[in-house]
Amino acid sequence: MTLFLQTTLNGLVLGGIYSLAAVGFSLVFGVLGIVNLTHGIFVVAGAYGALVLFAELGIDPLVGIVPIGLALFAVGYVYQRTIIQWAVSRASLVASLVVTFGVAMMARNGLQLVFGPDVHTITPSYSFLSIPLGPLRIDVVRIVALGASLVLLTVLALVLARTHFGRAIRATAQQPLAAELCGLNVKNLHGLTFGLGAAMAGAAGAIIGIVQPFTAASEVAWTLNAFIVVVLGGIGSPAGALVGGLLLGLINAYTAQYVGPSLTQAAMFLVLVLMLLVRPSGLLGNAFGESR
Amino acid sequence: MNRALVLLAAIAVVLAAVLLPLWIGPFYTRVIQLFFFSTGLAVAWNLLGGFAGYWSFGHTVFIGMGAFSAAHIVTRLGPFGDGPLSMVLPILLSGLLCGLFAAIIAYPILRLRGIYFAIAMLGVSQVVGELINNLSWFQGGVGVFLQTPLPAGTAPEDFFYYLFGALLLASILIAIAVRKSRFGYALLSIREDEDTAMMLGVATERYKIMAFVLSAVLVGTLGAVYGYSVGYFTTYTVFRLDFSLNMIVFCLIGGIGTLAGPVIGTAIMLFITQVLLSRFLDIHLLITGAVVVAIILLMPGGTIGALRSWRRPAAGGGAAATETGS
Repeated sequence: MTLFLQTTLNGLVLGGIYSLAAVGFSLVFGVLGIVNLTHGIFVVAGAYGALVLFAELGIDPLVGIVPIGLALFAVGYVYQRTIIQWAVSRASLVASLVVTFGVAMMARNGLQLVFGPDVHTITPSYSFLSIPLGPLRIDVVRIVALGASLVLLTVLALVLARTHFGRAIRATAQQPLAAELCGLNVKNLHGLTFGLGAAMAGAAGAIIGIVQPFTAASEVAWTLNAFIVVVLGGIGSPAGALVGGLLLGLINAYTAQYVGPSLTQAAMFLVLVLMLLVRPSGLLGNAFGESR
Repeated sequence: MNRALVLLAAIAVVLAAVLLPLWIGPFYTRVIQLFFFSTGLAVAWNLLGGFAGYWSFGHTVFIGMGAFSAAHIVTRLGPFGDGPLSMVLPILLSGLLCGLFAAIIAYPILRLRGIYFAIAMLGVSQVVGELINNLSWFQGGVGVFLQTPLPAGTAPEDFFYYLFGALLLASILIAIAVRKSRFGYALLSIREDEDTAMMLGVATERYKIMAFVLSAVLVGTLGAVYGYSVGYFTTYTVFRLDFSLNMIVFCLIGGIGTLAGPVIGTAIMLFITQVLLSRFLDIHLLITGAVVVAIILLMPGGTIGALRSWRRPAAGGGAAATETGS
């Protein structure tokens, strides 16, 4: 029983991180309709950014979230307004899939050239502490990571639900043409949404850096995880990302514990394929209704 | 174009390909062998992805299944005689097995469209790969051997050059036959507008499944021969993400949904990566990625689309853009 509870706890903590890592992908998919295969790069770039800040300047990764988020916001905005915008207008929405894939390949190669192919970890002072919770144990870094994920997801949900900016994003997602007729600058909003997604991914990367080892090549896994989370939870909403992420974390933890650690990937994809067949719009559906 | 002229040119190309290994060294024989294999894959992917518009991101599953089927058929069902002819049965059976697997998953998975189909196929390839890797019966983790019974006095690169060449020729002929038939037009109508096609009485479900199975059989056959050509392989030798993506990229660069597109695209891309950049291995991905991005942005219809719009500037951008439409 203790083992089961411990596995569940581990799964939920892992799931919190998956949720944060996926929410930006979900937002971009929901609002722009683009499957951004560069998403994993943003996550890994966030982790490398936190590593550099921590190793060179001694800045804690959790504080480092702010500069990393801002930097990736700028990168995401420019990237969407140039390359992705061109790809969508010149070719097609599906072509943007291939373009983001090409950019991801370039970026992964670039990161490997700069940082080398080695596996990196970030080890702040609290990384080896753990707290007992009755018969269970939980690492401090994991609690910190989960807490930071939940805070950031809540902030994003509030921004989307309550602010003018959030309303503009949702309006653009539902009806780009009508939103434009109402005086919204849709192109700019698309860029801002993409930047927001990239910033959330970078923040997730900084948190992942203190919990898990990472390499440039792990970007593929983070892109695929984000896709699975979106399919499980539903497109476009922080709540959907949270549900999907927690489910994915649990599936991962249970499979690793009870079936075999080498089968987690297979289990995740099996759930993905089954989910696509049974309920393609995810458990919570598309946050932006009938827009697509 | 004049039909007889095209036919003559095709015969000349085939003859040149047959005689070529006499002049070029083993290295270039291998490069062209890789070209034949990759082009065969791209042509097979194009049947489903190009004609019907169903972009599969996991076609490597059929390469892997084909290779592993061949290995297990040979080791478990015993040798089928001596000499190169003993390869025929395992290769054909492997191709058919892939087709059977495709037929089983076809109905549920082809209900998905666009990006969802693409990612579901990626999922299928991951699941099958992991299962073969982790279930000990398949021996994917430790690897399997698949010895080639070479005919006496033939170098392996020459043998596989001709084998892959023959398979490529067969694939191209099949693709031409499909494209010119009622089946091909049905697939094109599915790509352009599936719902309308269905309403007009096209049996979309049946045609999609047929294209999927045909594509799987071709890729599975190529996969089995690929298994023979490497001799020893583990899961990750044959279940490779870059195989899946190369098929798409090659078609995209040549022109998706055209007959010559996969051939031209593979030739361009392999020339760049294998010949021009064979000495810059650490920036290989960077260059490939840059080429992919540049092609999409500059020539969204691929090489064929660019040539067409250059020949008919009036119909320019629009024609090229619809060529890549999903």
